[in-house]
Amino acid sequence: MTELLRVQNLTKHFPVKRGLLRRQVGTVQAVTDVSFTLAPGETLAVVGESGCGKSTLGRAILRLHEPSSGEIRLDGEDVTALDTRDLREARKRMQIIFQDPYGSLNPRMTVRETLAEPLLLHGMATPANIRAKVDELITMCGLSAWHADRYPHEFSGGQRQRVGIARALATRPRLIVCDEPVSALDVSVQAQIVNLLQDLQRQLGLAYVFISHDLGVVRHIANRVAVMYLGRIVEQADTEELFLNPRHPYTRTLISSAPRPDPTVARHKLPVEGGTPSAMALPSGCAFHPRCPMAVDRCRAERPELRQLGGTLVACHRADEAVEGMDVAAAGKDSPALLRRLEILEQARTMQA
Amino acid sequence: MSATDTQTPAAAPQDAAPVHKSWWRALMRDRAAMLALILLTIIVIAAIIAPLIAPHDPNLNSRSVMQPPVWTERGTWEFILGTDGQGRDILSRILYGTRLTLLIGLVAVGIGGVIGSGLGLLASMYPKIDPWVMRLNDMMLSFPAILLGLALVAVAGPGVWPVIVALGIASIPDCARIARSIGIGVMGQEYIEAGRAVGLSDWTIFRRYLLRNSISSIMIFLSLRFGQVILIGAALSFLGLGARPPASELGMMAAQGRDFLLFAPHIATIPSVVIFLIVLCANVAGDALRDVLDPRLKS
Repeated sequence: MTELLRVQNLTKHFPVKRGLLRRQVGTVQAVTDVSFTLAPGETLAVVGESGCGKSTLGRAILRLHEPSSGEIRLDGEDVTALDTRDLREARKRMQIIFQDPYGSLNPRMTVRETLAEPLLLHGMATPANIRAKVDELITMCGLSAWHADRYPHEFSGGQRQRVGIARALATRPRLIVCDEPVSALDVSVQAQIVNLLQDLQRQLGLAYVFISHDLGVVRHIANRVAVMYLGRIVEQADTEELFLNPRHPYTRTLISSAPRPDPTVARHKLPVEGGTPSAMALPSGCAFHPRCPMAVDRCRAERPELRQLGGTLVACHRADEAVEGMDVAAAGKDSPALLRRLEILEQARTMQA
Repeated sequence: MSATDTQTPAAAPQDAAPVHKSWWRALMRDRAAMLALILLTIIVIAAIIAPLIAPHDPNLNSRSVMQPPVWTERGTWEFILGTDGQGRDILSRILYGTRLTLLIGLVAVGIGGVIGSGLGLLASMYPKIDPWVMRLNDMMLSFPAILLGLALVAVAGPGVWPVIVALGIASIPDCARIARSIGIGVMGQEYIEAGRAVGLSDWTIFRRYLLRNSISSIMIFLSLRFGQVILIGAALSFLGLGARPPASELGMMAAQGRDFLLFAPHIATIPSVVIFLIVLCANVAGDALRDVLDPRLKS
């Protein structure tokens, strides 16, 4: 089987309750009808702006949020149908790395206690050999054995993230959901963590669902990219294809607006205005139409389904048209900032070697 | 560049240990808290070993009635703090009375703390039961402790234990409320999700994640509550609901001394001062505990 994870029509809606009687006054449509597959050893990046549902998607895959509907198959087994006992068993095979290395470790437990927890729970170690197992795990993630008896607050952000990675690796999972694992770290440490993730992927054959809003990191690490907007995947393609030939106007905007640290460089900005609409009151038709420079009447009336266009899956009525003001070639080119980020990542790799 | 993050051998094992020492040092720096803690320790030890150090039988009536304390003109070293209206040695009665007062405070806070924080933390962990626990709480909050004490005494007869139980029950809603809000803060942390992702049971998450991270804040609240409970307990004794006469309790001693306030003010003031000291010390020490424990064991 070449398919490790299959997500089918996954939907997660949160009811919004107000008032004394907790009446439901609305629904946040965090994730709607998301489908994708992931092969063993592959990295799928999920990108999108804040609040687009990418973290909810990651947590729903692990059933940290109970999905509203849809199917998640891990090795062909439907995760959404598992009871508590089998779910625990399944969590041996899928793990998560969190964004905030300060919040994701229990401050009252030493690193050793934190790492021993999954090992003992899933029978990967016995109380007799737990010391050695934890030492092994922690050195695998680039820390030393003597780090293990410390508390999280004694570590730097990068070191804590290594502990977080070690915890996720403890049960030897095949799938790891990385929920913005580097966005809380500074750039040089980011590069180290990204490289660590890549090394581990090669060594252990891990598959990653890599949630990020950092296109530089995504470009560096991902095989495929899914772009989310307001809970739906609007474009999905191989990384090269997506960056060189973005089809959806939203993807083009994302790529062209990757941050540039140098303020003297004029911004080549695609015309997108306004903020993200509320996920409680989605626009009619295509959710992107209020901000889309290409929107026509059809976009306001009818929601575009995902369709195949070359190697790309895209949900846009006008994806195959060339439109004034949406210069695909210019937008598709890597911005200088992106190139610099990639350079740093490469540098870190060669320095490590 | 890649080496800076992982290797800092200079700061290696020696600063791995002092997590426990650092709060001790912080406490040492806080003079008022230190003084309060020392005083509280002395009071507690004195109460515990009261039978060994009390100069007289606390219930023995001597012939010198309303003897003033030693530092006044007519004072004698035989009765250091003087005697009360029935000629009993006040120092001995204070020592025994403190015992009872501390017992009331500790047990009542213990009952309220365990049941209340248990309920509060459960409510924070399970949003489904939260509204029920909180409404029950509101009902209990609308019931004054003194009234509850009166009701219990009416049913069980006067004595220390009905008062302790009443004070314990009266402490539950406050503790639950505080524990719930502390717990909600902890439950929102990412490490709770991390624990769930690992596959831990609810019980383990409760014990190892929620409780461990809330307990210090809850203890601080309880230390403040301890002072309040002692005051209410003294008030109940003062009203004649608590300890029964031959036994001594600080609030009751103050009540008995009230009759002689004009001729022998020491009979009422000395136990009152001791209550004041206990409550003050508990509050100051509790406050310091917050300062010391809250910054997340930061070194």
